[in-house]
Amino acid sequence: MEYTSPLEKTLRAIALTLVVIFFMFPILWIFLMSFQTNETILRVPPSVVFEPTLTNYQALITGKLETSAASLEINFMRNLFNSVFLSVASVAVAMLLGVPAAYAFARHKFRGSEDIAFTLLSFRFAPPLLVLLPLALYFQQIGLADTYIGLIWVYQLICLPLILWIVRGYFEDISPDIEYAYRIAGHSWFATFRKIALPLAGPGIAAAGLLAFIFAWNNFIFALVLASADKQPVTVGALAFITASGIQYGQIAAGIVLSIAPTLALALYAQKYLVEGLSLGAVKG
Amino acid sequence: MASLELKNIAKRYKGETVLDDVSLSVAEGETLVLFGPSGAGKTVLLRLVAGVIEPDQGQVLIGGEDMTDTEAEDRGIGMAFQNFALFPHMSAFENIASPLEAQRATPGAIRAGVEAVARLLKIDHVLGHAPRELSNGQKQRTALARALAGAPPILLLDDPLRNVDAKLRFEMRLELPRLLAEQNATVIYVTQDYKEAMALGDRIAVMSNGRIEQIGTPADIYLDPANIDIASLFGDPIINLLEVTPAAGSKGLAAQISGVPVRLGNRDPAIAGQEMVMGIRPEAIGFVSAKSKAAIPVDVEAETPLNEKTVTLAKTAGGREILISRPAGTPGPASGKAYISIDGEAALLFAKSDGTRAGKGGQDLETEGEAA
Amino acid sequence: MTMATTPGRAPRRFRISKRALPYVLSLPALLVCIGILIPFFTAVFYSLQRYRLSQPWARKMNWGENYLNFFSDPSFWNTLKVSLLYAGLTVVLELLLGLAIALLLQKRSTINNFVSIMLLMPLMTAPALAALMWKLMTNPGFGILSYFLTLVGIDDFRWGASSSSALFTVILVDIWVYTPFMMILLLAGLRSLPKQPFEAAALDGVPRIQQFWRITLPMLTPYILTATLFRLLESIQQFDIIYAMTQGGPGDTLTVFQVEAYLNFFQSTNVGRSAALLMILWAITFFISNIFIKNWLRLRERARGEA
Repeated sequence: MEYTSPLEKTLRAIALTLVVIFFMFPILWIFLMSFQTNETILRVPPSVVFEPTLTNYQALITGKLETSAASLEINFMRNLFNSVFLSVASVAVAMLLGVPAAYAFARHKFRGSEDIAFTLLSFRFAPPLLVLLPLALYFQQIGLADTYIGLIWVYQLICLPLILWIVRGYFEDISPDIEYAYRIAGHSWFATFRKIALPLAGPGIAAAGLLAFIFAWNNFIFALVLASADKQPVTVGALAFITASGIQYGQIAAGIVLSIAPTLALALYAQKYLVEGLSLGAVKG
Repeated sequence: MASLELKNIAKRYKGETVLDDVSLSVAEGETLVLFGPSGAGKTVLLRLVAGVIEPDQGQVLIGGEDMTDTEAEDRGIGMAFQNFALFPHMSAFENIASPLEAQRATPGAIRAGVEAVARLLKIDHVLGHAPRELSNGQKQRTALARALAGAPPILLLDDPLRNVDAKLRFEMRLELPRLLAEQNATVIYVTQDYKEAMALGDRIAVMSNGRIEQIGTPADIYLDPANIDIASLFGDPIINLLEVTPAAGSKGLAAQISGVPVRLGNRDPAIAGQEMVMGIRPEAIGFVSAKSKAAIPVDVEAETPLNEKTVTLAKTAGGREILISRPAGTPGPASGKAYISIDGEAALLFAKSDGTRAGKGGQDLETEGEAA
Repeated sequence: MTMATTPGRAPRRFRISKRALPYVLSLPALLVCIGILIPFFTAVFYSLQRYRLSQPWARKMNWGENYLNFFSDPSFWNTLKVSLLYAGLTVVLELLLGLAIALLLQKRSTINNFVSIMLLMPLMTAPALAALMWKLMTNPGFGILSYFLTLVGIDDFRWGASSSSALFTVILVDIWVYTPFMMILLLAGLRSLPKQPFEAAALDGVPRIQQFWRITLPMLTPYILTATLFRLLESIQQFDIIYAMTQGGPGDTLTVFQVEAYLNFFQSTNVGRSAALLMILWAITFFISNIFIKNWLRLRERARGEA
């Protein structure tokens, strides 16, 4: 192994510490904040020594915020439910549409297949508002405005290309001979798809699904344009919440913690696949 | 059992011709070996028969019925792949059972069928293993068992011994003919190994560059090859190829090797004076004493003793290299000067321009046209 | 034959023809795709119209007028300037920082792997929520960062609320969220480089700083290019962070393309101008994405080949 001087080791350690502090501190600080009352939050100087309280989370979960002045309604749980529902449903739809298409693109080089795959990919990179603004007007006309169905459809903009391109790569990794062997043994293409291709690409499909879920969850702009308060996910809801609740900083922090916890947990769970997913298969993790 | 016929099959990939007007028929119960160098189109042809690749042109007939547009699963074919192509997420048992499942056999029948074929191939003790837990030899046998399990009338074996070690390949080469005979199936067997081809084939079809160059019994191909390439593909050590210009003499045609005339016997006199390549099998050359008639002087360069034979590399005065093979244990020079004689009547003559056979020997003249 | 079962084929099932199969499989995805193409063409159409939601009666085709107006429109030039500045600064800073961190974590060790997993967390935080987190931390009343600044004697730094520091603030949030993206891509690239050139250079006594410039950097270029273009594509379209932090303000300080288009549409209800802005943004991203996709495909091919 190459020689590293003590000086270099020290410098590296310092640099690494700074990096960790910069990237971890905001999450840690908001997390701490979520267990504080407004009084301790507003203390000057701020301190990490405080008596932790669950009142912020209680207020969010019960939907009632009792202050000395008045009782305030919070719809945050509704936002949380919307996030879960929209993300799960969008990923489910994207899987249903994307996995068979990914299989077709991986296995059959049919006419126009590359063009279609690229068109789908290019949606990943086009400005979302370009589609969203006209869609907002169309949705008014066809009655999809402010509906879950309309939102789930638009969420395909992010979920579908992701699923398609990642899963396609996993299908391509399966030797065609293995599928041929199953066909020749006397099974239909559908049985082959179900019994060979799906199980073998299984881990990849699951990883793509998790990633699509994370991207759907983190999306902001779609719901901002297309959804009203009772359909909004946490990303949009939290912003509205800040405006509405004004100075209830503890609850805002608790809301943010609840909103980012699911994606962080999933990301840690699926971190093995993350690199490949984020680069749409261009870099192996 | 069913006969198999291919009619004018053509296939192109990205502008490159992979199969060029291939026609072929295999009789019921016959084993046809497709032999040729890699890239000749053997595997593509096999997949076309299996129905996983579609031809651009031509027809595939199985049992007289046109199956060109029939899906792979409905063709009644069993196939073993060169890379085994076992289903990695299924046990050996499930792998072998897959054709029986497709036939909607009862669980009992499936179990009986898998066990019978596993016993036949001596893998009944590893049926519970996943493919990654199997040795290469066991994988190969599992792949073969899977191809046989459904008792398909047509069996396609794509170089099944390619990826197994030498010992197993030797054993299987002895075992396979019996096994194939028991199966009672029409077989196409792809290989790049000429010994395998000779050992297993009722007939051999030699392919190169997407075409079938010659079809015939193993003896036909070996003794009467259609061109230089085929002559070079069969035989170990490789056939000697000497450039000669035969001349007509008082006792018929003769070629000069180091100034010594080698009589070519009764041949088409039209080849006199033309540039030819003479092919002589190493075993058709023998060491002789200096006094013998038509003895050609050579320098012995090297001697390689193999198990059953000894191969000598010698050089003529003109610098031509010649391989001589003799049964092991028979006497011969190991170095220095020596004399050889060439059986000119057994020599194969090819036109130098395009490598095709020319000036066939006397007995060939009568049967010419049949081999093609 | 030991297992004398005649190959009794299953009865014919419903079959989709071989040639139609791939189309049938991809058709549903295709329909969704078309459903998205329609609004795209509508946007092209809108961009050629005088169209205000507040004055529907005055709606008419004005062809290239929306575009021509941009030339003499200082707010358009401001949008272009802010967008390019934002994209350029974030991408360059994130690239440098991401590369530095990747080099720091290059060696596989428990602590390095742990840190690289930790760094995924900002990337997995929704950018809009990240902006809110930083908003809480930069609150002039109780924000911890504002407090830190007072400790070093800066009392009146107003972060996103002041036009002089708003760009700095949103770029800081962008760096916090997206540097890990650069980092993990470059780290994967670094770790996939072959070892031999480095061993040979070490044997020849080439100093490590030289190894970096002569070997690491050239070999890492495809990864750097892909990651940079990818980030550039996203950064030029940034909306979430800026909108959640300042809604484009104060004033027009941060009215990047998508924010300006959003405000034009919903506040000034000027659909035509909004669509024209987005078309220009689309042209820019189309240009970048074409280069990107080429690079990305090459890299992807290589990654799949190694698998």
